[in-house]
Amino acid sequence: MSRESILNAVKKNKPDGLPLPEINLDFFDEDINLVETFVENLKFVGGRAVQLDNEALLDEEIKKLYPNASKIVSTTKLSQLGTIAISKEIDPHTLEDINLAIIKGELAVAENGAIWVTENDFIVRALPFITNDLILVISKNDIYLHMHQVFEAISKRDRTFGVFISGPSKTADIEQCLVVGAHGAISLTVFIV
Amino acid sequence: MAHADEAAIFNKDEEKVDWHDKALWFVRQKRDKSAHKVKGWEELRNYASAIKANVLSNLDTYLLQFEENAQKNGVTVHWAANAEEHNKIVHGILQKHNAKKIVKSKSMLTEECHLNPYLEKHDIEVIDTDLGERIVQLAQEPPSHIVLPAIHKKKEEVDVLFQEHLGTKPCDGDPQYLTAEARKHLRSKFLKADAAITGVNFAVADTGGFVVCTNEGNADMGAHLAKVHIACMGMEKLIPQEKHLGIFLRLLARSATGQPITTYSSYFNKPEPDKEMHIVIVDNGRTEQLSREDFRASLHCIRCGACMNTCPIYRRSGGHSYKATIPGPIGSILSPGIDLKKHSSLPFASTLCGSCSDVCPVKINIHEQLYKWRQVIVKEVPQPIVKKNVLKMAGNVLANSKIYGFVGKSSRFMLKHTPRFMVYSKLNAWGKARDLPEVKGDNFDEWYKKRKKNE
Repeated sequence: MSRESILNAVKKNKPDGLPLPEINLDFFDEDINLVETFVENLKFVGGRAVQLDNEALLDEEIKKLYPNASKIVSTTKLSQLGTIAISKEIDPHTLEDINLAIIKGELAVAENGAIWVTENDFIVRALPFITNDLILVISKNDIYLHMHQVFEAISKRDRTFGVFISGPSKTADIEQCLVVGAHGAISLTVFIV
Repeated sequence: MAHADEAAIFNKDEEKVDWHDKALWFVRQKRDKSAHKVKGWEELRNYASAIKANVLSNLDTYLLQFEENAQKNGVTVHWAANAEEHNKIVHGILQKHNAKKIVKSKSMLTEECHLNPYLEKHDIEVIDTDLGERIVQLAQEPPSHIVLPAIHKKKEEVDVLFQEHLGTKPCDGDPQYLTAEARKHLRSKFLKADAAITGVNFAVADTGGFVVCTNEGNADMGAHLAKVHIACMGMEKLIPQEKHLGIFLRLLARSATGQPITTYSSYFNKPEPDKEMHIVIVDNGRTEQLSREDFRASLHCIRCGACMNTCPIYRRSGGHSYKATIPGPIGSILSPGIDLKKHSSLPFASTLCGSCSDVCPVKINIHEQLYKWRQVIVKEVPQPIVKKNVLKMAGNVLANSKIYGFVGKSSRFMLKHTPRFMVYSKLNAWGKARDLPEVKGDNFDEWYKKRKKNE
């Protein structure tokens, strides 16, 4: 192992100490409508937003949007549509042919249309990626202005695995033509309740 | 071969160069639009630059802090002084698990270390899972751009490549069809993989976690399905605290493609029970670059590719002309630090227009460093005699106003009266592929004097 020699070389070669800046969040403050901005950005990144006044209507709406989904995993009590139960112990490879996953998102970011979800929310790490279509449900009270606020909001958590998801998986690697549906979910619908 | 000679090869296909130029400029424009929408964008850049400078000045402390926290999280941390050690460590982990089928998401570091050929030599299958990287892997080429690896390939070429390797139907390069086929092909690889290798975009010292950003979801498909996840990182990828991710994640994708954030920003802290997570911290010349006061800021780089998209030279010469893992302006200040002689033409592959520095999200003074490398190179690497003499002559002309006036006058006369075939002969490099400006009477000096007189 070269640990010591690397660390010694760094010690020898690094410049004199430079201060870590204090971040003044006033620079980034904006008085904007968070829900509107979030929805606008979500659309920009290829996602679909559905605003619901009543969370009891959730399943009905999902059925309308995904009438053919039969293999459904729901990890949230908000939806009863799940047809396949999962637990931490299952082999994630068995989720290969899941049509739809319904997951509660912890919070959303207005500036980029992203939603923060963690292992606590989706139980099996592969789930939000391996599913064909993905539904994230968020509360309109959990939308934050920007990433700085979000990291403050999630600073006291048990850290295992978490991910910001902004839209469906996509690529533009062939001649810069945007194609939605690369390796992860090919569509993302966000219900804002 | 020097960069200019490599660029001449790329320039043989004029139509393709035009497309390449415009496609990358379009990405640059998307970056602008996206950046201008952010309140406090310049402050974000200032913070990012200052944070990275702080990281470099305390790199040993942060590395130790990161190691300690990662170990507490159940992650195994390895240290590699160079590419060879890196490859051996990765191979060792794979051997321990008898892993023969590997999926890898984008990692410029593993390109730099030539990990794929090393593992293939040991009978291990490595599949690059980013679509662009898979395309260049099938074509047996290196990536030509760090964010858009296959930007030099036309869709028709991808079509032919996929027919040959994936058995797809001819489709006139339909991107939708080709991407869907790649999804099927790579999904079967994800499902069978024994281990997953990813890069690292940011490693967080105060949590021991690391963040991997993709649009395709390929890093996650690999890492969450396989038993073993190996994340390879250059030692400069560290940031001090988790809250600093707020700064860098706001800058990265906007600078890279104009997206407000990548589709997936995955934050790995702990391995799942019964699974293993490894991090390989790699030096490979970075501590040496750290010692160079004029060039150490190049280690701020977060690999967004904005400097490539904006560079008038890169856009018209293609990534392969740089013959380096990292092409473009940032590559041209990193590569001479690795092999001065081999990469001695790269700092000259620039107009020094400074556009690279203007778009850099971490405010690396790229064009100034290019200029500084030139000064190092002319001292240490023998320069062509013609170039040396021409520059000496130019120096004499520019230093003497009488000679300068005479040379200017005769050049204008020649340009006006010499037949076209002579002006645009091989001897005049300035007349290659472009028209010289029309000569209109006086030079500025003469014009100014006349104007004064008439006042």
